[in-house]
Amino acid sequence: MPGIDVKKIARLSRLLIDNSEAEHFQREMENIIAMVERLPDTSDIVLRLNPEDKMELRADKTGPSLKRDELLKNAPQSEAGCFVVPKVVE
Amino acid sequence: MELYEYTAAELSAMFRAGECSAEEITRSALDRINTAEDKIQAFLTVTEENALETAKSADKKFSAGETLPPLAGIPIGIKDNICTNGILTTCASKILGNFIPPYDATVIKKIKTHYMPILGKMNLDEFAMGSSCENSYFKKTRNPYDTERVPGGSSGGCAAAVSAGEVPLALGSDTGGSIRQPASYCGNVGLKPTYGSVSRYGLVAFASSLDQIGVFAKTAEDAALLYSVICGKDEKDATSVRREYPDFAADISNFDCKKLRAGVPKEYFGPGIDGEVRDSVYKAIELLKENGAEIREISLPSTDYALSAYYIIACAEASSNLARFDGVKYGYRSEKFENLIDMYERSRSEGFGDEVKRRIMLGAFVLSSGYIDAYYNKAKATQALISREFASAFEQADLIITPTSPTTAFKLGEKTADPLQMYASDICTVTVNIAGLPGLNVPCGLDGKGLPIGMQFVGPHFSEEILLKAAHFYESLRGELPRALL
Repeated sequence: MPGIDVKKIARLSRLLIDNSEAEHFQREMENIIAMVERLPDTSDIVLRLNPEDKMELRADKTGPSLKRDELLKNAPQSEAGCFVVPKVVE
Repeated sequence: MELYEYTAAELSAMFRAGECSAEEITRSALDRINTAEDKIQAFLTVTEENALETAKSADKKFSAGETLPPLAGIPIGIKDNICTNGILTTCASKILGNFIPPYDATVIKKIKTHYMPILGKMNLDEFAMGSSCENSYFKKTRNPYDTERVPGGSSGGCAAAVSAGEVPLALGSDTGGSIRQPASYCGNVGLKPTYGSVSRYGLVAFASSLDQIGVFAKTAEDAALLYSVICGKDEKDATSVRREYPDFAADISNFDCKKLRAGVPKEYFGPGIDGEVRDSVYKAIELLKENGAEIREISLPSTDYALSAYYIIACAEASSNLARFDGVKYGYRSEKFENLIDMYERSRSEGFGDEVKRRIMLGAFVLSSGYIDAYYNKAKATQALISREFASAFEQADLIITPTSPTTAFKLGEKTADPLQMYASDICTVTVNIAGLPGLNVPCGLDGKGLPIGMQFVGPHFSEEILLKAAHFYESLRGELPRALL
């Protein structure tokens, strides 16, 4: 089993794990990964899309959509019809 | 007998015969919620005014002599991960604790065009991740058969409410067993339809290639009535399938058990399955055999790998789907942060519970550079293997019979300390999602503690009709099961 750097995985997932949590998350993740490692030999299986399994896409045309004001009602912070986030460009 | 104790089919007949109004049916359910909810805790939101308004409009149309659809006036509960316009939809998570969708899921639109009063939103494991409903941020739902025990999960609120008589019907979602396992623990019929037969538009995504909306009901006939309302192609969900969907309830009694070939896979009756559960399912199989069904022992050799493949695929998709919760567009935003990244990280860390974090991290891990071949790609190949084994099994069987869960309902807190123990309760159900098949739970008895035992029927793609007919026929052989005493 590969070593797991739980802090690195947390960072990739945009999660903060403090030192007090790191230990139990580390142990749990190791146990879960040990479980999911049980997989059969699948070297003879070639994954390909099934041509019978067509996905039916809708026509690419404009139609009614949700109103901006209604969507912004759920935003933690909005102003002048935009979502507000902390400054990203100096 | 109170109105809330009847099945949806019975209520529908009574409403049409003018024996009761839709408002009376809805008020009876609301009264039941008032008395039972203290003990059961199945609802996150009760929408009394909305429900009564819909009921009254069904009554008005009935009085005016309009033709109404079969479930008009029959109330329903909705799992709280299905978007309802203007009504809180929290996914039982702090991160969506204040989310009020500005639109209806396609299934909700259908419920509304059928004049079905929506009684409220039902508790679940946060983002449908869990098997006991204990991962809800808000409350722990109890099993009506024993309030010290879990109702199962993730759609625990739906299952408990149907069993307690708070709602005659409910809509849930099933990614790895989240309808069938709680239906089994609470003694309901639970149908997880074929992937693609019900639109997922407006269902908050957990694992998009496995998620499917389905139904909870007291009987197979009620499940057939509700499934007929929600199935069908939707242009808002490109994975939904265009085909002829029959009226599943109309012809439900037309079933010839002598023509049924039922497969019994030995891998689902092994040492991990509780003895009482095994005996009860075998007894039900015997009953079908006595009535002319041909029973064939079959083998699904890769079953053992299903749980691994399931958790890898489901968590990989979850890690991507749940990236949208970042404190910007909706939901919770942390109060203190230093910059944009810090805001994302704090909002997510404070907003998600531990099980959701574990699954996001497992997903990120199996998709990360250096591991994707060993985990994700191998899991996808295992998925192909499992699907292939099912396809060949269905050459010799019309449906497959297994236990729904290895045990009956366990005690609250019994499995929360060890995620792996909790995951194991999905062992009989995940294969069905992996292969995109329909699966149905039908109660087949009670164990020595008086807890419901569930039997699972699995069929080929789009075989809901035969699953529902077989379950309806089996119910007539089984007879009434004792109800939960509250």
